[in-house]
Amino acid sequence: MKVFEISNGTTLSLTLFTDVTNSKELLEFMQAGMLEPEVAFLNASLIPDVFPLLAAAHKTLVSKSRESLTTRTLHSELVYNYSGSKHITESLKRCGISDSSTYVLAARFNASPDEMKAVEKLINGKEIDLEELEGRADKAHIQKHYKITAVELGISSLADAITCRIAARDAL
Amino acid sequence: MEITADGKDVSLVLIKQGAEAVSVDNTLLRSCKGSCKEIRLSFFMLDKRVFESTFVGRRSIVKERFSKKYRHPSLDSKLILKGLNAEARCMTKARRLGVTTPVLYTVDPVLHTLTFEYVEGLSVKDIFLEFGLHGIVEERLDDIAMQIGNAIGKLHDGGLVHGDLTTSNMLIRSSTNQLVLIDFGLSFTSALPEDKAVDLYVLERALLSMHSTCGNVMDQILAAYRKSSKQWSSTLNKLAQVRQRGRKRTMVG
Repeated sequence: MKVFEISNGTTLSLTLFTDVTNSKELLEFMQAGMLEPEVAFLNASLIPDVFPLLAAAHKTLVSKSRESLTTRTLHSELVYNYSGSKHITESLKRCGISDSSTYVLAARFNASPDEMKAVEKLINGKEIDLEELEGRADKAHIQKHYKITAVELGISSLADAITCRIAARDAL
Repeated sequence: MEITADGKDVSLVLIKQGAEAVSVDNTLLRSCKGSCKEIRLSFFMLDKRVFESTFVGRRSIVKERFSKKYRHPSLDSKLILKGLNAEARCMTKARRLGVTTPVLYTVDPVLHTLTFEYVEGLSVKDIFLEFGLHGIVEERLDDIAMQIGNAIGKLHDGGLVHGDLTTSNMLIRSSTNQLVLIDFGLSFTSALPEDKAVDLYVLERALLSMHSTCGNVMDQILAAYRKSSKQWSSTLNKLAQVRQRGRKRTMVG
């Protein structure tokens, strides 16, 4: 688990899991709104670096502070913002988890150590280091999802390209 | 100058001041509190202010467009948002075309700010002025001119016109010697050779007036432009016409 400060002392705790076996159950819990503590599950193969996720988290906190969340909860907003798209259902489907997900990143705002332990208990999987994100990312899938061309990758890293799309989404 | 906002020490340093002096109010300080401990005011422009800050742990630049009190409030906010979104769009479009621009971190439509990556390095203007003072480093000059021509060619072929090509809007990243284009505040999309020619003409005038000691950089830039742009011929023909008559197509008033 790792904790990142986003702004004004608000933090985001991240834990990366592989070989997750109960994603179907997690998804059902989440859709029923019964997840305790509330947490965001992200499709980790779309995340090559933590920075774009932190940018999405920053954006999420800004809309929260203005009471202008687009989705129902703070944590679903994080998944939606990470997608860089305006289509909520598609975003949650692609950047969130599905029945068959095995590689999952769990994120929670302002989590206490106890809460993160509870999250770890929820997930049946093996916790691995966040350093593994880059090597395990599905580059082709990311390029397709964010429409990143080879020309752009010539001058930019994958993570920077994603960050730009997250930031510019509402300007498009 | 030390200003304390909400119990936090925030130092504000004005580095450069442009045409219009503006008193610093607390709006931006409030917006930045907590997320940045030190705000540095880099320079004032006619309608925007630029600050240095940190964005989730990375050094960043915050560019704020502010309202003009002489405009009707509802029109004012519409115009500001339009400019803000256009700039974000053009910056990211340039990246898609393979031209390096600072990474956009966030757009705030309420505070009218754009936050982007802090690029470590000198502006081409400073480098060229240095050449004027201490002699030209031929190799470096060739490389920079080549990169400029190349970048503009890519932008123009993608239908993007920068609108404010001056040497102070071009940075050279110290770590890689790579050209980074900044300030897309006047950018727009256009496929017209006229607009592209005017873009080049503005750069030519800027080079002539600022960097005449550097020899004919523009020729080198245009040579690189010709190589990178497929539509160079119509643009350069137009450029010849624009040189004859100046930037404005219609001479009214």
